[in-house]
This record gives sequence, structure tokens and C-alpha cells, in this order.
Amino acid sequence: MEEDQHMVSAAQHILKALASSKTVSHEMRKTLLDLEIQLSTINERKGSGIKQLERKLKCLEDKVMSLEKNDSVISSEYLKLVGEIQTLQQKFDSLNENWKQKELVQKSNEILQVVMLRLEEELVQILVNHKQYFEVDYMSFNSNRVDLVYDESFGSVEDERINKVSRSIDDSLSEASNIDLVNPSVVEDLKSIAKAMFGSNYQHEFCHVFISSRRDALDEYFVILEIERLSIENMLKMEWQSLNRMIKKWIRAMKFIVQAYLVGEKRLCKQILGDFGSVYQYCFSEISRSSVLHLLNFGEAIAMGTHTPEKLFCLLDMYEALEHVAVDKDFLFIEEIDSFVTREFHNLQRFIVETIKSTFLSFRNAIATNPSKKCFPCGGVHPLTKYVMNYINALVEYGDSLNLLVDETLTDQSDSNDENNYENSTVSCSPLACNLRLITTTLESNLCNKSKLYNDVALQHIFMMNNIHYMVQKVKSSNLCNFFGDLWLRRHVGMFQHYARSYEKVSWSSVLSFLRDESLSTCVTERKIKKKCKDFSAAFGEVYKTQTGWSVPDKELREDLQISVSQKVIPAYRSYTGRHSSKIDEKWIKYTVDDLQCYILDLFQGSSKSLHHSHHRK
Amino acid sequence: MPATTENNQGSFLGRISIRRNQVMSMDGSHDQELEDLELFQKHVGDRFSELLSSTTDDPSNDALLSIGWLRRLLDELLCCEAEFKAVVMMGRDPSQIAKPPLDRLLPELLDRVVKSLDICNAVTLGIDAVRNLQRLAEIAVAALEPRPMGDGQVRRAKKALNSLVAAMMHEDRDCGSSKGTERSRSFGRRGNANKDRGGGTFRSLSWTMARNWSAAKQIHAMSSNLAAPRGAEATGLPSPIYIMSTVLVFVMWTLAAAIPCQERNGLGTHLPFPRQLSWAQPMISLQEKMAEEWKKKEKKGSVGLLEEMQKIEKVGQLLIDFAESFQFPGESERLEEIRGHVEELADICRKMDEGLEPLQLQIREVFHRLVRTRSEFLHVLDQAVKLSAPTV
Repeated sequence: MEEDQHMVSAAQHILKALASSKTVSHEMRKTLLDLEIQLSTINERKGSGIKQLERKLKCLEDKVMSLEKNDSVISSEYLKLVGEIQTLQQKFDSLNENWKQKELVQKSNEILQVVMLRLEEELVQILVNHKQYFEVDYMSFNSNRVDLVYDESFGSVEDERINKVSRSIDDSLSEASNIDLVNPSVVEDLKSIAKAMFGSNYQHEFCHVFISSRRDALDEYFVILEIERLSIENMLKMEWQSLNRMIKKWIRAMKFIVQAYLVGEKRLCKQILGDFGSVYQYCFSEISRSSVLHLLNFGEAIAMGTHTPEKLFCLLDMYEALEHVAVDKDFLFIEEIDSFVTREFHNLQRFIVETIKSTFLSFRNAIATNPSKKCFPCGGVHPLTKYVMNYINALVEYGDSLNLLVDETLTDQSDSNDENNYENSTVSCSPLACNLRLITTTLESNLCNKSKLYNDVALQHIFMMNNIHYMVQKVKSSNLCNFFGDLWLRRHVGMFQHYARSYEKVSWSSVLSFLRDESLSTCVTERKIKKKCKDFSAAFGEVYKTQTGWSVPDKELREDLQISVSQKVIPAYRSYTGRHSSKIDEKWIKYTVDDLQCYILDLFQGSSKSLHHSHHRK
Repeated sequence: MPATTENNQGSFLGRISIRRNQVMSMDGSHDQELEDLELFQKHVGDRFSELLSSTTDDPSNDALLSIGWLRRLLDELLCCEAEFKAVVMMGRDPSQIAKPPLDRLLPELLDRVVKSLDICNAVTLGIDAVRNLQRLAEIAVAALEPRPMGDGQVRRAKKALNSLVAAMMHEDRDCGSSKGTERSRSFGRRGNANKDRGGGTFRSLSWTMARNWSAAKQIHAMSSNLAAPRGAEATGLPSPIYIMSTVLVFVMWTLAAAIPCQERNGLGTHLPFPRQLSWAQPMISLQEKMAEEWKKKEKKGSVGLLEEMQKIEKVGQLLIDFAESFQFPGESERLEEIRGHVEELADICRKMDEGLEPLQLQIREVFHRLVRTRSEFLHVLDQAVKLSAPTV
């Protein structure tokens, strides 16, 4: 027996010596060592327990040492060893506790530590080298929305193309929802390493490395998405254009990070660590936490800023972005583990809602308090009107969200009475519709104040007519008509028509009064007729000079008004001149009927003209 | 005395609101207002006095700058803030708040509030970094707890502890530099047995604030225009504003000193607190104590005054020393001693585990409360402007 053992030991020594020789190839070394193990198992069957275990341990130690020397060894080699060490350790545990056993346990732990260190390094390398990157460029959005910033020098805000942040980003996200953040081919390796490390009580190291590495990967995306870190102090001082750009980037980042990236991250955590209970959730939480908080803090800073009306659209976009990611967010962040993050999401949402409401209110106040200092030249459509109508036109793009946000508490009583008169259309009775009507009412009030600045009462009416007409046209030609309803339209059409009639009365009744006889008696003196004709011409000339300088920008409205004026003036003129034709001297009559007709067409063109005495009559 | 403070505060708020509603005339309210202001002063003094005494009286209480103590500090801040709002805003005509010198003092306070918000965020991120250090300590504990103590475990612990200590050094030195995406990763491959391997970088990009942002600078800015109101102003509204500003500066300074956050180099140890005002005495004593500690540690490049972090550093160093000299099987006496330290370390980790998240939540609560207060004040100031402006 003993001779056999000696022989086997000798053979083992030789094999070991050969294996440690530098000239032996890697495969050869492996074979020699495997052979050595086989020899020791032969002995094991025959020999005493502890010596065999000790020899095995030594064997493993040598294996590890030789692997250490070789740089190109991959983790699978080490993983095999882990299994063997663990088996040995179990055997050690069943031995009597004496000094020798302690020594063996200690030794095995030593070897284990070296292997675990190796695996940890391997883990880092795999995670770093097999990260996968995704193009976020195709997830660009295109917002044609013009910034609606109010400016007195507004030329024409007419017909700006107002589009919401386009839907394209949402479509491309659904394609990206299954991204593999790490090359799928290495996932099995990662799982094996996890198993080995967890099984050897080295889970802390695994998690620490894993979390650090994945956290760094997430940080990289923040750079790719161009999300800057800014202090709240600086953000509050930022000018609007830059802020606007950053908000757009934020929205893109929020959607991408929550819906695509983090979903992928959680899936990865589960794939690798799913077998170990709730560890994967804890790891995911640690990985994502700080970055998500950064995103949320940015949102807070935006909501903290001043509530200028142009911000409303950004806030609405942000609100909708948060709503959009809500489902994914609920899946990713579990109340028990991520109470901090869930709570902050909730806080941000609430804050943005409040800010939206107060911004909406301040928009209305801004309209009410818009100063009326000097009268708007020519009585045309005031920039305020254009701004407000375009603004609310853009707002209704967010109709669904706004209906939830602007409740009836923002309106006052007067509108709710009107509601009973409105047809039973749900849209025009919605909270948003009520609020929009309140806004236009406020606008009308302010316009009224502005109209009072004109000395000429007729111009006041023209001004109101122009503006109300603009409002009506805007409502008719857009989605606003659903919100305002037929009744509102009819009322306001009536309104601008009323202003038109008022204008006519104020402007023309005195002029036309010259074309009337006081008495029906046929003997009117020539002197009287002459005076009347001269007065009429003078008056008409005055009106012409003034009112050619007035403006009715809308072509149809202008023509209608001109026709209406003609219909009053021309027949009166014709009949008067006709009636007294026998007595009228040519010299007294400056204009023919056709002349008058032409001159009336010059009215409201916005450039003042005066009539010279043209005698080109036949 | 401590127990009554809380009751006082509750009934105090109640009393103010009832009184405000009752009193109609301006004259009558003036005396009552003076009383309210004095009570506010007294309460502030009482609160901080308690915080001070708790550190010296009973050793079983939360030590100065421990997680527990910081949480109490934040509680007191929230109480002060609530009382402040009650004293200054409740039942008051907006125009009173907008007239001089408040039209200068209030915006200054609100500016301090904004800076405080950034500091709160920096500290919140700093707590994440501290949690990371806690994990490293936990690895060391996990390594050294099982028996028998062997070379492998000790090596394992040493690796974790070295990472820990190095990270602590880095925390302070690198707090300010925001690293780009290029990062030198020190994963030595074979042959660097003693160097820290793996574990990623020390300071994750996600824990940094804006580039060039500095907590030290912010606090300096916050305190630079702190001036006690004099003469007639001392009995009016400027007084509570000054008190609130002082409290805010004090708390923010403390947080920045305790928790590693971006750029604390140059954190001034002297704050311009009014030595002559009685309510400020406890705060001054506390600040001086902490400043002492800060000066001591600053030379060594320490990680922050958080009591638990200091302990970890101390115990960690002891364990590293042990690890350097250890050889299996080791002396049993020494081993017993070391086990004691390991227990200590485990204990600290447990405390941090329990306390860090609530601390973060509290800081967040302070954050939200400050945001809200700022909004309310801005709204009131806005109203005052509108009321005084001529209608169009």
C-alpha cells in the first residue's frame, strides 16, 4: 500500500515539476495537472481523509498559481476551480475542528480570495468592454412651434405653423424598448460569475463592482443626451432661449432614459441576478437613483422660475412627458425599495401642475393688465389680439391635458351662467373651453380700453370691429371652433357687425345729412343747394382724408364695409343731385357718382390720401 | 424644558392666528407683533440651545454631527421656518412686506434660499457617495467576521478598506473637478497585488453638481451680506428675517461640513454671527465646536465631519494596520481586539443603513419646503407690486 502511495506521490512530483517548467505549453500544463489530479483521486480512495484533502488543496493552489501567471486565462477556468474549492470547503466543514482543519480552511479561503479577485477583475472587464451604445439621434424631435413671446412690434403672427413636439420620438421609442445594454453573448458569463461569487459569500464585491460599472454607463448617456448639470441658481437666471433648448433635451432624455434605457437596465439586472431574490431590484435602484434625481431636479428648477406665458407650452410638454413615462416609471421603481424616487416623481408632477395652473392664470392677468398707453395706429388688428388668439390656438393642441389641469375654479361665475345657453356639446362645455372663453372676454375688455384711446369715436368702432372680426376668423378657421361653439360665433359675428353699423352711423350720418332737404317743399333756394353741395363735398373730403388712413386689414371685411357705405352714400347722393339737377351748377359738384364709388374703394386701405380737385369731367 | 418646546411651538402658532383675527386696529396689533417677534427669537434660542446641550449631557444621545443629530438639526430648521412664515406672513397686508427695508431684505433672503436649495442637492448627492463608502466598509466586515481569521479574508478586507480610505481622500480632493467621460480606470491586471483593483471609479459622475459650483463659495456668498438690523429695524420685521437668514446659513454650513459635497475647499470656519444677541449664543457655540474639528481635519484631508464617517475612518485605519501585519494564525488577544473593532464597524454600518435614507428624505423635505416658501413670498411681493401700481 505505502509503496503504491510513494510511487504515486513521486509521479505527482514529476508531473508538477514538468508543469511548472517554462517551456511547457499551456495545454500541456493543463494535461499534466489534470493527470496529477487523477492520480490523487486514485490515492484518495485508498488513503486517509485529511491527507487527501490536503493534497487536493495543494493541487488547487498550484493550479491557481499557474493560472495567475498566464495573462490570457479567462473566467471559465477560474469558475471551474471555484466549484472545486467549494466542494473541498464543504468537506472541511465536516471534519473535526482542530488546528489542522483550521489551517486547511484558512488555506482554502486564501485560494478562494485570489480566485474571487480574478473574477472581480474579469467582471469589470466584461462589463466595460461589452457595453452597447444606441443612437439617440433618430430620436430627435422636430418642433416647428414658434416661440410665442409677446412683443409690441409684432409684425404678423398670422398663420404661424404651430406644432407640438412631434410624435416621432414616441414611435421610435417603442422600437427601442428592448435594447440590450450589454452584449447578450456575455450575459451567461456574467451569470456564472455572479453564481460563483454569491455562492462564496462574495456578493458584496459583485454588487459593488456591478453597480459602479452600470452607474458609469448610465452617466455616459447623460453626456450623449447633452444633459448638463446646472445649479438652480444659474437656471433661474438663464434667458429664455437657452432654457427652452434645455427643456427640449430634457424631455427627450426623460423619455429615453425611463422608457428605453432603464427598462433595459432592469432587465439586465434581473437576467444576471434574478436567481438571488430581490438583490437585482436593490442593485437597479442604486444604479439609477442619482441620475433620475438629476432629471427630476432639473424639472423642479424649471417649475420654480417665473411664470411667463411663453413657458406654458414647455411646461405642458414636460407634464405630458411625465405622464407618458408614468407607466414605465411605476414598473421600474417599486414603492418599497425606491420610495425616494417615486415620491420625487410625484412631487415634480404636482409642482408642474401647480405651475401650469398659475402660469395659465398669469397669462390671463397679463392680458387684462396689458397697458394701453398710446393708440394703435390706423385702428387695425392689435398685436395683442393676434398674440392671444395664436396662443390659445396653440394651447388647444394640449386640449386633453389642459382639460384635466384647468378646472372650473379658474373661471368666474359669469361664464357658468352662459353654459346653460350652450348647446350640449361636451367640448364647448369643457373646463378648457370655459377658460378660453374667459380669456377672450378678458381680451375684449382690454381692447375696449384700448379703443377709448382714440379721439374719434368712429375709429373706436373700426378698431373694435377689426379685432373682433379677427377673433372670429381665427376661431372659425381652426380647432378653436369646437371649443367656442356656434353660439359664441354667432354672438361675435353680431358684435363686429354692430360695430360696423355704429361706425357708419357716427361717421356718415352727418355727411349724409347734407343730402337731405329740411322740408318737402319743392322750392329750395339755390343758395341752400349750393351750400349743401359744398358742405357735402367738404365733409366727404374730410372723411376721405381721415378714413383712407384707417385700416381694415381683412380684405373681405373691408370690401363689405365699403359696399355698405356705398349703399348708403351713393343712392342718397344720386337722388339728391338728381332731384335738384336743374338748379345745380356744375361748379358746385366736385364728384360724380362714379367718382364717389371709386373714392369709397380707397377707404380703409391704411394710407391717408387727400382729394385734389380734379376737373376731368366731361 | 426640552419637552415644552414642541408644545410651545404648536400653541404659539395657534395663538398667533387667533390674535391676528381678533385684533382690528393697527395700534393694538403692534404690541402683539412685538411679542410675537420676541417669542420667535426665544424659540430659536431654545431650540439650538437644546441641540447644543444634548451633545454634552448624555453620551447615549446622538453625538454632535452624527446622523441622528443632523436629523434633529433639520427638524429644528423646519420648525423655525414654519414659525418664521407665521410671524412674517400670516394675516399681514402684502404692502407691509413690500416696503423698505424689506424690499431689499426679503429678496436677499430668497437669494439665500435658492443657494440653500443647491446645497441641499449637493448634500443629497453627497449622501449617495457616503452610502457607497458604507458598502465598502460592509465588505470589510463581511470579510473579517467569519472565523477563523485567515490570510485570504484579511487580504479581502484590506482591499476593501484601502478602497474605502482612498475614496475618502478622493472625496475631498476631487469634489470640485467634474470629470469628463474620459476616466483613468485603475484596474491593474496581474502583478499589482496590493493596488486597489476593480470597483470602478471613486467618484461617479452622477454625484457631481454643476461645473465650477462650490458649496464653500455659496455659503460664503450667503453669509457675506448678513447684517444684524439696527435701531428701529431691530424691533420690526427685519429682525425675524435676519434670524431666519442666520439659521439658514448655519444649517447649510453644518451640512456642507458634515457631508462630502462638491467643493468644500475653502469652507470658511468663521461665520459672521452676532455675538451680542442672546438667541444666537447656542448656534455660535455649536459652530465654534464644529469649526475646531474642521480645522483639525482639513489638514489631514479628511472626508467630512459626519460622526459616523469619522469613526469609519478611524476604525478602518486600525484594521488596515492590523491587516498589514497579520499572518495566520495570529495572536488570540490581538484577534479578540480586532473582532471588537469589526463589531464596531458593523455597528456603524447598521446605523448608516438605518439613518442615511431618512436623512436624505429629510433634506429633500427641507428642499421642498424652501421652494414652497419662496413661491409664497414671491407671490406676496407680486401682489404688493400689483396693488401699488396704477390700474390701466
